[in-house]
Amino acid sequence: MTAGLALHVNGRATTVPEVPADERLLDTLRWRLGLKGTKEGCRTGDCGACTVLVDGASVLSCLTLAHDVAGGHVTTVEDGDDPDLARVRATFARAGALQCGYCTPGFVVALAGLLKERGRDAPADELLDGLQGNLCRCTGYAAIVRAVRGLAREAP
Amino acid sequence: MTAAVRPDAAAKLTGSAPYGTDLDLPGMRWGALVLAPVAHGTIRAVDLAPARARPGVTAVGAADLPALFPGAQGDAERPLFPTSTVAYRNQPIAAVAAPSLAAARAAARAVRLTIDPLPAVGDLEAIFPAWPGSDAGASPHVAAHVRARHGDLEAAFRGAEHVVGETYRTASVHQVALEPHACVAEWTDGSFRVRTSTQSPFGVREDAASILGIPEASIVVDGTWVGGGFGGKGASLLEPYAMALARASGRPVRLALGYEEEFLLGRTTLPAVVRLETAVTGGRIVGRRVRLLLDVGSSLPGRDFATGYSIGFLLGPYAAPAFEVEGYAVRTHKPPFGPHRAPFAPQCAFVVESHLDHVARAAGLDSEAFRAAHLWTAGATTPLGQTVGAFGLPALLERARATAVAWRAAAPAGHGVGVAVGFWSTSTGAGGEAKLRLGPRELTIVEGEREIGSGSVLVGLRAAAARVTGVPADRIRIEYADTARAPFDSGVFGSRTTATLGRAVEEAWGTLAATVVERLGRPGPLSVAVEHDELVVAAGGARRPVRALLADGEAASGGLEATGRHFGKGGAIDDGRVVDGAFYPYTDFTGSAHAAEVAVDGETGSVRVVRYAAFQDVGAVVDRGTAEAQVEGAVVMGLGQALTEEALWSDDARLENAGLLDYRIPTLGEAPPIEVELVEGYAGAGPFGAKGLGEPPIIPVPAAVALAVRAATGAHATELPLTPERVARALKLL
Repeated sequence: MTAGLALHVNGRATTVPEVPADERLLDTLRWRLGLKGTKEGCRTGDCGACTVLVDGASVLSCLTLAHDVAGGHVTTVEDGDDPDLARVRATFARAGALQCGYCTPGFVVALAGLLKERGRDAPADELLDGLQGNLCRCTGYAAIVRAVRGLAREAP
Repeated sequence: MTAAVRPDAAAKLTGSAPYGTDLDLPGMRWGALVLAPVAHGTIRAVDLAPARARPGVTAVGAADLPALFPGAQGDAERPLFPTSTVAYRNQPIAAVAAPSLAAARAAARAVRLTIDPLPAVGDLEAIFPAWPGSDAGASPHVAAHVRARHGDLEAAFRGAEHVVGETYRTASVHQVALEPHACVAEWTDGSFRVRTSTQSPFGVREDAASILGIPEASIVVDGTWVGGGFGGKGASLLEPYAMALARASGRPVRLALGYEEEFLLGRTTLPAVVRLETAVTGGRIVGRRVRLLLDVGSSLPGRDFATGYSIGFLLGPYAAPAFEVEGYAVRTHKPPFGPHRAPFAPQCAFVVESHLDHVARAAGLDSEAFRAAHLWTAGATTPLGQTVGAFGLPALLERARATAVAWRAAAPAGHGVGVAVGFWSTSTGAGGEAKLRLGPRELTIVEGEREIGSGSVLVGLRAAAARVTGVPADRIRIEYADTARAPFDSGVFGSRTTATLGRAVEEAWGTLAATVVERLGRPGPLSVAVEHDELVVAAGGARRPVRALLADGEAASGGLEATGRHFGKGGAIDDGRVVDGAFYPYTDFTGSAHAAEVAVDGETGSVRVVRYAAFQDVGAVVDRGTAEAQVEGAVVMGLGQALTEEALWSDDARLENAGLLDYRIPTLGEAPPIEVELVEGYAGAGPFGAKGLGEPPIIPVPAAVALAVRAATGAHATELPLTPERVARALKLL
């Protein structure tokens, strides 16, 4: 069973034809819309690599049915206009908070979502607590923690 | 930290970096593997017809290979698909390709396998219940045997004041790179083109050629960005299957593992049992006996490297006047053994450090002083008879001990501080080549392998080349090339990449510089500067832009080229001490000394690492930011091995926790603050004395944590990982 899906992706109204009822948002983004910045890791909701924002809130796109976000606004790591994403990218770059980079889109999007949810002045410890669902195997999280603590230095 | 932004940061932060899992070619088919449902069994029939009856499905089994690869002589010992016997559960028996992943998986499920199950061996101790009391040598399960000895061991033990014997068990651990294995293979005009997420494009080419029985010249491997390797992407895994499917379907075929399959099919460190006996007289070790049973899964007999290499680490960086080591590589019905960041060395350090700590306590000695007193120093002789080179470890251990003293003074009740060491060697023996191209505006390094995240290629190699050549790092570009165009290199593993390729760059630059100086016409040391966006070279008072020195052909191809190579040599080991099997000499001696402070919950046995300090012998710092990041990342990966990570195998070789929920790696909240100190001045095998850094900092971690737990509670752990249950048992809470 398939149906057309209308949604906004990174600020653009988008219509995707013939999306199966059981398709996950991760696959719609990656394989129908070509937005491969959102990474496929575990597909079981344990690693956070596939995190995207739906109406500004973090969701695991591997556990979200595409049709469940119909009409919604989806933000992925590719969004070049989102000011929170820009701020997060800047602090990650400055702190060297990435190595292989596979978890990076998930961290970047999840942190941007936390800034939207908790406010741009949210305490770093609160933001770090909100990133516990994102796994990184390379950095030991040390540089990611520095990036979050360095957020205040990045212009909003 | 004021380090420059990594050159790959922008692509990775905007999602534009294409990894193996992102591969998508026009007309591509999706592949899936048909996996053996039993760990051991006799294959009676493989019926692909139900899969082939589905629309757009191509299916390949063992019977199809002769027609697909006429005249090919594949490696009989490791066939693409087994024809008679299943060697391990989830061994690929056939492969299918279909227009979608869902269709491919459905087709794989439709394949009818008739396999008569045979008894499977999952537990190496079940094979040798009386070991080490009885010899394991005659068993058909033994894939390799190594033994070395020196000195009068019997006399040392007979007359010793203290003899301490213990048995340790270490766990099977998985690499858990976040990106699963993924590749796409194409067959066009009689040759294969394979795009794959790999630590070693040349290794994949060699492996695939050997498995399929076709010439290496008919395969071109092109790496993609790599979402973590840690040893798991060092050899071919999926590529030959994708190639067979591409050959059969005439289309590009993508093959990727789901994350559960990543655990089930991945090749990694398997369980081990170690028996140690140590004799002490007058506060000195007089004799050591170490025996190892190492599970190598369904690795091929005679091809096991792990045992002979690992057993050196079971002696630790410690002197012993008399010793004997013996190791058996034991075949079980698990997947073949594979490398995992510093393969088996963290487990060895846990065993050695915990045991020597136990020995010191039994002899009434201070554990750290006892270990420090026996540590190798430069110029000393290793148990296997190799002369120790420049070695920072004795000095590093003193730094770690000083840190521990300060932490202990401030530690509250329930906390404990442990200190442990480890050693490693830069694997420059796995050789490589570097091609340099000096152009008008930049120096290019042509490279076959891709950055895997550590920074060893995009940051380390560039920084090393800048130091060697004098060309500013921002004027050095890494040009990725496929195996048809790139100079040979072994791959990104063994903490070798920056060191080996840096030495190859030295050689290539020697050739280039000689040519440039000759063209400048005045002898003298060459210097390079940037002026008006151009590279300008000078020697002996002559000074010209590079552009002006290039012949027409060179200008057309982008610059003056030269290739250098480096195949490092280890020192000599004393063959007189080797009784059986292959042992491996070290190219250099890299030390790590760590201090860990833990808090242990006295009711549950739960361990929290409060803070951590890592002192790392680096020879020379190549790039400080990425070097420190390697240490931080390795420490936390090691904390997983110390506390939570354990692949659980059933008695019949079934992996029972194939997923990230049940195989727990450290999370952000569990990572402690880490102090990193890079210690220079003890030269290693790389350019300007740099030592490899990817693996060494993981080695002491489980040991440091175990000793901290012992300091906090008195609990003496002889098994990894230190789960709450194990700690509670050691504390007699359970």
